[in-house]
Amino acid sequence: MKNFNYIQPKSLKEASDILKKKPHEAMLYAGGTDALGLMKQDIIKPEEVVNLKSVPGLNYISYTNGKGLRIGALTELAEIAENPVISEKYPILRHAALAVASPQLRNLGTIAGNLCQRPRCWYYREEFNCLRKGGDMCYAFDGQNKYHCVIGGGPCFIVHPSDLAVVLLALDAKLTVFGDRKTRTVQLKDFFVSPGDDYQHENNLKAGEIITEIQIPELPQDAKSAFVKFRERGVWDFAVVSVGAVIRKEGSKVISGKLAFGGVAPIPWMDESLNAKLPGVALSEEPVAQLVSEILKKAEPLSKNAYKVPLVRNLTKRLLLEL
Amino acid sequence: MSKDSKKGGISRRKFLQGVGSGIIGSYVLTPGIAKAAEALKKNSEKLILSVPLTLKVNGKQAHLLVEPRTTLAEVLREKLGLTGTKVACNNGECGGCTVLLDKKAVYSCHILALDAEGKEVTTIEGIMKGENLHPIQQAFIDHDGLQCGFCTPGQVMAAEALLLKNPKPTRQDVLEGMSGNVCRCAAYPNIIESVLAAAEKAGSETAELK
Amino acid sequence: MARKIVKSRYYGDEGLIETMAEVPVDKLKAWGPDAELKVVGKPVSRLDGYEKVTGKAAFTFDVSLPRMTYAKILRSMVPHAKIRSIDTSEAEDLPGVLKILTHKNCPVIPWHWGTTVLFDTEVRYQGDEVACVVAESMQIAEDALSLIKVDYEILPFVSDPSEAMKAEAPKVHAWGNIIDGKPSLYSRGDVEKGFQDSDVIFEDTYSTQVVVHNPTEAHCSVVSWDGDKLTVWDSTQALFGVRDAIAKSLSMPASKVRVIKKFMGGGFGGKLEAGKYSVIAALISKEIGRPVRIALDRKEMNLSVGNRPDSVQKLKAGAKKDGTLLALSHYSFGNVGAYPNDADCSWPLRTLYKCPNVRTEEYSVLTNLGRARAYRAPGHVQGTFAFESMMDDLAEKLGLDPLELRRKNYTEIDPVSNRPYTSKLILDAYQKGSEAIGWKEKRKPAGSEKGRFRRGIGMASQIWWGGGGPPAYATIKLNEDASLHVMAGTQDLGTGTYTFLAQIASEVLELPIEKIQVTIGDTETCPYCSLSGGSMTAPSVSPAVRDASEQMKRKLISAAGAILETSESNVKYSAGKMSRLDDPAKIISISEVIEKLDEKMIVTTGAREANPEGYEINTFGAQFAEVEVDTDTGKVRVIKVVAAHDIGRVLNQKTLFNQLHGGIIQGIGYALMEERVVDTYTGKVLTTNIHDYKIPTIMETPQIEVIIVSSGDLLISNTGVKGVGEPAIIPTAAAIANAVYNATGVRIKSLPITADKVLMALSEKN
Repeated sequence: MKNFNYIQPKSLKEASDILKKKPHEAMLYAGGTDALGLMKQDIIKPEEVVNLKSVPGLNYISYTNGKGLRIGALTELAEIAENPVISEKYPILRHAALAVASPQLRNLGTIAGNLCQRPRCWYYREEFNCLRKGGDMCYAFDGQNKYHCVIGGGPCFIVHPSDLAVVLLALDAKLTVFGDRKTRTVQLKDFFVSPGDDYQHENNLKAGEIITEIQIPELPQDAKSAFVKFRERGVWDFAVVSVGAVIRKEGSKVISGKLAFGGVAPIPWMDESLNAKLPGVALSEEPVAQLVSEILKKAEPLSKNAYKVPLVRNLTKRLLLEL
Repeated sequence: MSKDSKKGGISRRKFLQGVGSGIIGSYVLTPGIAKAAEALKKNSEKLILSVPLTLKVNGKQAHLLVEPRTTLAEVLREKLGLTGTKVACNNGECGGCTVLLDKKAVYSCHILALDAEGKEVTTIEGIMKGENLHPIQQAFIDHDGLQCGFCTPGQVMAAEALLLKNPKPTRQDVLEGMSGNVCRCAAYPNIIESVLAAAEKAGSETAELK
Repeated sequence: MARKIVKSRYYGDEGLIETMAEVPVDKLKAWGPDAELKVVGKPVSRLDGYEKVTGKAAFTFDVSLPRMTYAKILRSMVPHAKIRSIDTSEAEDLPGVLKILTHKNCPVIPWHWGTTVLFDTEVRYQGDEVACVVAESMQIAEDALSLIKVDYEILPFVSDPSEAMKAEAPKVHAWGNIIDGKPSLYSRGDVEKGFQDSDVIFEDTYSTQVVVHNPTEAHCSVVSWDGDKLTVWDSTQALFGVRDAIAKSLSMPASKVRVIKKFMGGGFGGKLEAGKYSVIAALISKEIGRPVRIALDRKEMNLSVGNRPDSVQKLKAGAKKDGTLLALSHYSFGNVGAYPNDADCSWPLRTLYKCPNVRTEEYSVLTNLGRARAYRAPGHVQGTFAFESMMDDLAEKLGLDPLELRRKNYTEIDPVSNRPYTSKLILDAYQKGSEAIGWKEKRKPAGSEKGRFRRGIGMASQIWWGGGGPPAYATIKLNEDASLHVMAGTQDLGTGTYTFLAQIASEVLELPIEKIQVTIGDTETCPYCSLSGGSMTAPSVSPAVRDASEQMKRKLISAAGAILETSESNVKYSAGKMSRLDDPAKIISISEVIEKLDEKMIVTTGAREANPEGYEINTFGAQFAEVEVDTDTGKVRVIKVVAAHDIGRVLNQKTLFNQLHGGIIQGIGYALMEERVVDTYTGKVLTTNIHDYKIPTIMETPQIEVIIVSSGDLLISNTGVKGVGEPAIIPTAAAIANAVYNATGVRIKSLPITADKVLMALSEKN
């Protein structure tokens, strides 16, 4: 790891100004669970590491009846997993937080960091001068692509690694972003960037912008939610695929709902046309089977990841039937 | 494959055909090395100073001067001589370096030492009273919750964090609580027994006190 | 105690070992199966438990010396290249850099049987040594590495062994890509005729992946010179081997090299050889006059210090309708990486069952990847997976119960040497293991389960050597305070060596275990013992300790006789006290004896006896696995493993069970998740950390039931012990693969059995 100056800003403005002034040399740093790994591998070599933790007031969980949940950017995943209000009102969020990494990493990793983590693609993490690192090609495309995307890829074929993003997408979350001395609100679904648009960034944060808060709307009383993460080992592993579902139903019929998927695309994946088919679907074997056959219909698997399509469909089917 | 179309970017196969396999290596590597060297040279011209750090480890204050990139594990092992904390992966992937930070388990190899300032750091050396074993340590001996012993201090610290939070864990709680610690010898069945036994013993001792 | 020099033979990790060693003339009578032992075999807690749970255990990784410096190796980033030039000038200018060694300034020291040198001008895999920096701190050494400029002339490379075998493939070495330029061959009987006479023929191809040891403690050394004398702390399984290799490399007498290893964080076969890094550190240390510490990082651990070679195994079996095996053939090749090693894996097929006609043909293939090394039962693990999977397939084809097929082909004698075994209790393992798993009651026809989660039961047999042999010596010192000190130049890998050595002495001399201190892991203070591999530490060293302890007892009796003025035959030894048989009131303690002797201590040295002539010594066993396959995802969960083994006498129930647990769980890793992944276009490894390289976690722990069917092998040694470290892992993957087949009706023939493979196979089947 290259040495750096550790900057301790006292305000968002101060942090943002440094980041904006040195967009290539300065890096925002929170829990550090991903950033340290990148720095140890010399994938990033920041000269100035800006410690967001020195800015007060970014670690909170606040629920207002009727309005919903607000989570400060620096809230650790363990806090989210252990918060009683979240457990009661948004169990899907607790479930996703608990599925991240390992207990020790959840004690340090933050919610905003989880959303902003860099891809786990082994070509990106190893000594390959790949597209995302400013090189000329994607090595995964015809290389070892078992864990890569089946949809939305090209010219880079990563999957987005965040578990939280999948459930927050299904929960219709919004982000508050500070930058340029003001804040903006962005829908999470508009936050992530496909490699077709920009293959070096995973989200649309601009230089100097900092996520300060995640807002999750109040869920209707009758909403049901569930999250499933499929991984090869029982801990540490990122999702091979994951599915988040937030559904309102009447009797056994869906009134409305959202499905979101992880591990299938370079961004946390939500298919509006699929979600549009949810209302009216009866949650029983036949109609659910019919519905899930629509998932990833446009998938273009690479040489080693065709299994992800039936995997996602099977998991979604089970998730819906067990709601 | 149908993918080297519009979106597919550059197929590696085609690329290889174009330039020959000999050159691809140097193509991929040389600029990378040159760039890295350049960056470093540039870096070394900038003055990055070591900074003062006050750490509270096992109840005692230590005043140190560290490079910002120094991890907590490096400080513990190299500056404070606390080699009970082991580093096996140096990347937050194994748990050998687990210590407590304000009573929560963290990987000391994967946190900057500067981030531990103002917090209570507890290492394996800090849970003993003199030479007397902590009950978790005794349970690991009694139930043979170890083989080579290299991951053991980390396992003990993870167990301590778990039992501080959840003094009466179920077997499933133990699995989850201890899941951030790899044991390559795979003494897992006995590790589970050790943690359960330590909890049970602590429970019965508390009951006796009452 | 009379000694003689004898030749002895036994098998270790690297195959047949033939030794000449000093052994006792008179063999002590072995402890019988019904010997009433008070300490041996009991669940005694580890002697070194305190050091380990407190973090005080001095691993090589923790050794710190005054004025110590730090070394870091620059390794090739490319799979094959000639080094045109190296420019270290900028790195040398970095403040704190003390010395940089490259091929330009390093003596030519042959390595890997002269196929390369310490710093070669040609690098043959990603990870080959290019330079070494020694600096005042680890950080400075790392910074310096990135300032070294290497100009490579890129050479064509090959990473796939099937490609490497082709005539037109790039050559890893000028002499070719196949070890010895030819296959390793074995045959008995007439295989063609055997197949002709068979009612049923089954053939298929099975394959296994490369897996990496990844012990938690990295390979590391700390070296320190004192004039012409070198002390090396090394994380090693082979003290004397490391001593001799370093001495030879540095052209110095072995007596001037001292190797110390008190504790080590796992080895699994990967630490049986001396490392280049130790020699490099020693060279630099001598020059700069300061101690050097060199510890590999996790990436280096995954690239450069060994792995279990992969295998492609084409198997064919011919049998009569009743299941009698008539012919077996085995063709295989495996990837040994850039420098010589072997990938042979046909021993289980040659020796597990009676079969008159067998032929094997095996190729060890060089590629531009990290070199293979011994890894916990080398060859047997991959061979058993393929062969025991095939035996299940054959049973299915014959319509026989898989267990019956195995029983049917049981052999009393070793089919290769035609010698009888000293003991073989595999039928007991079948019986007790099958009862414990519920083979009869629970096992259903393959693929008959319905529903999302399908359960199945499978089994596999195990054969391995693990008898150990001479030379192995132990010296014991009995002190005036009746405490005892055991010294042996052996190693504890976490296997419990410290503890069982004390238990043996405690048993014989009836001294409390707390009064026994054990020193191992030091070539200077301990008598010679062989390396710790091949499951031979306990079977080799435990008899030497018993020999020394029995000698000690005789000395005490003799001394007591003189002091109590009676004949030795009139002295009874009991719990550290000697009394006259005819006058039990005349009693004398160890302390009193030693005080009278004016010696302060009594010393004896014991030796491992010769192995019996005309026998084969093997371990046997069977593991039974119950799995649950999630047909929605393809994920396999191991629910229970029953491990029934014949490993001679149990020395310590606690550490033995633990070692079996560990072997089985490593076997689960091998069966289900571990795999070194290589990008074949660049020849570079993608799994260089233990996140992408998936090691089993506590979440993968199944229920494990251990059954030991043996109680001591009377023929092999005075303790009757066989080893268990390797038997533990051998049959696990095959038992799991067979259970997956039983659960789903789908046969996965390539390891690891990952969810994607199962899911795709299930969907193909439907």
